[in-house]
Amino acid sequence: MAGGAREVLTLQLGHFAGFVGAHWWNQQDAALDRSGDAKEPPGELCPDVLFRTGRTLHGQETYTPRLILMDLKGSLSSLREEGGPYRDRQLDAAIAWQGKLTTHKEELDPKNPYLQDLLSAEGVLSSDGVWRVKSIPKGKGPPPVTAAKPVIPLEGGVRVWSDFLRVHLHPRSICMIHKYNHEGEAGRLEAFGQGESVLKEPGYLEMLEDRLHFYVEECDYLQGFQILCDLHDGFSGVGAKAAELLQDEYSGRGIMTWGLLPAPYNLGEPQKNIYRLLNTTFGLVHLAAHSSLVCPLSLGGSLGLRPERPVSFPHLRYDATLPFHCSAILATALDTLTAPYRLHCAPVSMAHLADMLSCAGKKVVTAGASIPFPLGPGQSLPDTLMQFGGATPWTPLSACGDPCGTRCFAQSVVLRGVDRACHTSQLPPGTPLPSPLHACTTGEDVLAQYLELQEPRALSSSHLLRSPCSVAPPYPHLFSSCSQQAVDSIPVFGALCSSSSLHRTLAGLARELTKLDLRRWASFMDAGVELDDVQELLQDLHSLAQCYQEGDGLTD
Amino acid sequence: MQPRETTAPLPLPTAGRNRRAAAALWGSGQGLRGARPRGQGAGPRGVAAESAPPEGRERQRRPNSRAHVSAGSLHKRPRLVSGAGDIKLTKDGNVLLREMQIQHPTASLIAKVATAQDDITGDGTTSNVLIIGELLKQADLYISEGLHPRIIAEGFEAAKIKALEVLEKVKVGKEMKREILLDVARTSLRTKVRADLADVLTKAVVDSVLAIRRPGYPIDLFMIEIMEMKHKSETDTKLIRGLVLDHGARHPDMKKRVEDAFILTCNVSLEYEKTEVNSGFFYKTAEEKEKLVKAERKFIEDRVQKIIDLKDKVCDKSSKGFVVINQKGIDPFSLDTLAKHGIVALRRAKRRNMERLSLACGGIAVNSLEDLSVDCLGHAGLVYEHTLGEEKFTFIEDCINPRSVTLLVKGPNKHTLTQTKDALRDGLRAIKNAIEDGCVVPGAGAVEVAIAEALIKYKRKIKGGARLGVQAFADALLIIPKVLAQNSGYDLQETLVKVQAEHVESKQLVGVDLNTGEPMVAEDARVWDNYCVKKQLLHSCTAIATNLLLVDEIMRAGMSSLKG
Repeated sequence: MAGGAREVLTLQLGHFAGFVGAHWWNQQDAALDRSGDAKEPPGELCPDVLFRTGRTLHGQETYTPRLILMDLKGSLSSLREEGGPYRDRQLDAAIAWQGKLTTHKEELDPKNPYLQDLLSAEGVLSSDGVWRVKSIPKGKGPPPVTAAKPVIPLEGGVRVWSDFLRVHLHPRSICMIHKYNHEGEAGRLEAFGQGESVLKEPGYLEMLEDRLHFYVEECDYLQGFQILCDLHDGFSGVGAKAAELLQDEYSGRGIMTWGLLPAPYNLGEPQKNIYRLLNTTFGLVHLAAHSSLVCPLSLGGSLGLRPERPVSFPHLRYDATLPFHCSAILATALDTLTAPYRLHCAPVSMAHLADMLSCAGKKVVTAGASIPFPLGPGQSLPDTLMQFGGATPWTPLSACGDPCGTRCFAQSVVLRGVDRACHTSQLPPGTPLPSPLHACTTGEDVLAQYLELQEPRALSSSHLLRSPCSVAPPYPHLFSSCSQQAVDSIPVFGALCSSSSLHRTLAGLARELTKLDLRRWASFMDAGVELDDVQELLQDLHSLAQCYQEGDGLTD
Repeated sequence: MQPRETTAPLPLPTAGRNRRAAAALWGSGQGLRGARPRGQGAGPRGVAAESAPPEGRERQRRPNSRAHVSAGSLHKRPRLVSGAGDIKLTKDGNVLLREMQIQHPTASLIAKVATAQDDITGDGTTSNVLIIGELLKQADLYISEGLHPRIIAEGFEAAKIKALEVLEKVKVGKEMKREILLDVARTSLRTKVRADLADVLTKAVVDSVLAIRRPGYPIDLFMIEIMEMKHKSETDTKLIRGLVLDHGARHPDMKKRVEDAFILTCNVSLEYEKTEVNSGFFYKTAEEKEKLVKAERKFIEDRVQKIIDLKDKVCDKSSKGFVVINQKGIDPFSLDTLAKHGIVALRRAKRRNMERLSLACGGIAVNSLEDLSVDCLGHAGLVYEHTLGEEKFTFIEDCINPRSVTLLVKGPNKHTLTQTKDALRDGLRAIKNAIEDGCVVPGAGAVEVAIAEALIKYKRKIKGGARLGVQAFADALLIIPKVLAQNSGYDLQETLVKVQAEHVESKQLVGVDLNTGEPMVAEDARVWDNYCVKKQLLHSCTAIATNLLLVDEIMRAGMSSLKG
């Protein structure tokens, strides 16, 4: 039992969600390593919130993510469904059959060089009896493994998320949906209705319930669930159904949903584009109905049919067509945005955070992040914040258009990785203060004051953390400013806000949906969605959009 | 071994192509023949002794696709190893089909029909694939000689109606006693797992169904919980006349073994939700906050006290035990209080187990502790906990007249567990079908031989080209005895001729004896199949084969629905 940590169970539904998740777990794992070997005081973030301690049949201790992930047949590549420390080679070989046996073996998916490297580093460690998720030997400054032989997963070498996953998963983590194929022409999970019906099947439902039960039963103070869910394909339906199940079964817990969309959309195929629109809309509305908070996350410019250029970051160079890159950026944002409910001391519980952001039915929020936070050498926090001027400091990550000129109703802001020395202005006394921010005595005050200046009418909460976001490999090298030297952690400034730009976005989705002649997309409807459902959806979408209308007097 | 490779690119939907493609993939029945030996009755005969001609066909899918499945003979059980090394061991056609990535649209369509058959009846997947393939193959012979597919289809339709009539005639209505149920279960299980395991499972499934069977009510298989435990070997699988939960008490002081225990099942939160969740509170002073926190805590403590009061009342210093099974959470404080009073408490029981609990132990599940009384309590003779690594199991046994039971599946590894579990499910379905049908049909290919025989006679009454359709249908059904013979290593034609001759002579239903290759009377050998499975087979195979013959565009149906 995890010393009073308020546990969170993570659900990863879909392949892109797998990508984002893999990066995120890697980042957390790297943070674990750092706090493990240095003399630093225990980190501000409590890893027990998302990880669990377990024990294998051989009595070895394990530390694995408290995670359930769903993906389609054929998406695991070289990752075993039941793998990691829980395996027992001898027992696995026992076979309940007498007589002849024909073995049909696929060619083993080759482990890419990165994974092989990881495996060999681990082999050494596992001999000391205690198994740890670790690939870097203790107590040495730069990790020699990577320094001597820098095996970084190549962009081209990453086909699926398991190609760069560093952590081991619990055998109960992976749920395969064998009904649909990951690749190929036939048997794709591409419509919302298909996804919904997956979790209506007793087999899959039972599997999910069993796994939920396993993780939840051992939690003493479960605070909620976070769902990472693909919105562009049938997994939006799986997510909607899963959220419904959680809401039914565990009422009173927070359910934080992150709707993920890979960018950019494939424009060559209008059909896919329409399906994406339908899935996204259905997903958003249903998820909003069943969770405490929904946040779409995408690097694309818009959720609608018309493509817009993917967003750009002032200090990053990334390839928007690679899920490996996009997911890395989104994972960094997630790691920052979720910090409030993962803190060691005085955490804001998930339900509380959701309550704060979602007043008056505004359950959809947008995310934004400044990756990395551009704190120049010798600059203090007030200096940097003032540099932004009136502009929004963060790049929008929710594909809801430019936040400029919109109103923010409530926001939760996290700034991490800024040294304590830089928190306040170090101007010599007597100098005229360039801004009121420079007068504040603590970093927290600076941040709070800044938010007050930016959005005087919004309900804001802010957190300032010292620990940065880890970007050690396999995190791709995306930083344009410091091209050569290795970066292993960056400061990040992230925000979740409920802003009036959502009115435009949601109303836009509704408009595009009305224009579609749904009878042309009979195959979408065949999968269990009816015309009445679409009408209902439009209604819900309109009333959701209404919540975000400006100037209707709903000020808090 | 010379595997012929059939690469399956997506062919253009030209006339006749799908027919041939399907026949090539499935037609000869070798595609999956390993998966379907219709086993036999008593003794070690279910799995025949010696090997078949080493012959197999590898079906290759797209270069980077997953499972390579080829077919083995009866004794060879396909073991599937995925690209990452995950193992799956099976002889169950349904499992095979679900595991494979089938790219060819026609094949994929057939596979879907077959798995649908399994969803409805729990059996008959492989037969389905075999018969559809064979129907198409037989039809192809005539069509290549110029007969129009429409006429063949007419013949199929007529043949189907006749076949169903014959099926009605040969079915054996019996009172479903334990013996015949054992035979049905054995016939089904022998095809899925090895003989000694099949015998263990046969008894377990029959007894479990008999335990939950209530005269006048339909059988609810949901009342049989299947619980898996990675422990010992698969032959330790057994029936527990009670319930096994896969979690345990979360307090070190709670007893690991309680005898003669009262069971309280409830759905009440015994968990203190931290006040900060209720964001509406604002406190003026620290004392005020303290007070509010205490008040909330008290609310939960009162609930716990109610349970303790009840325990004191019913146990009254006797040595009886008291177990609380709660669907909601119980926090460490409440657990501690309960433990101090000698109560064993389990939290977060699965929703589906709540109903089973009250059926197994008696009592009623309570949703509020207000009107708690002795009547709500169930009883179990023995409750104990078993720990395996990080997993705990709680056994609730020795229940009086349990109406819900548990099949505890054991095995040393995951794939054995899955294999046993799949077999159990099919066994349960077979018994349920038999009880619901109130009749069974002879197995070992006997029905197919009889139907084919009847159809040959019947075809003389049919005029025109449709007669050929009936002929094709009759020939196609014979694939079942043929595959049975071939899988057991006998000459298929010779065996078939012998069986047919015996059938005509004896006027009895004669099937293939897999141990000798000789004809045998299926009824005497106690090889029984489900009536509804056969009926469903005739229906769906005809429908699909007819459709595949008639509509070339059906090719697209199996393809991505995007193209719709």
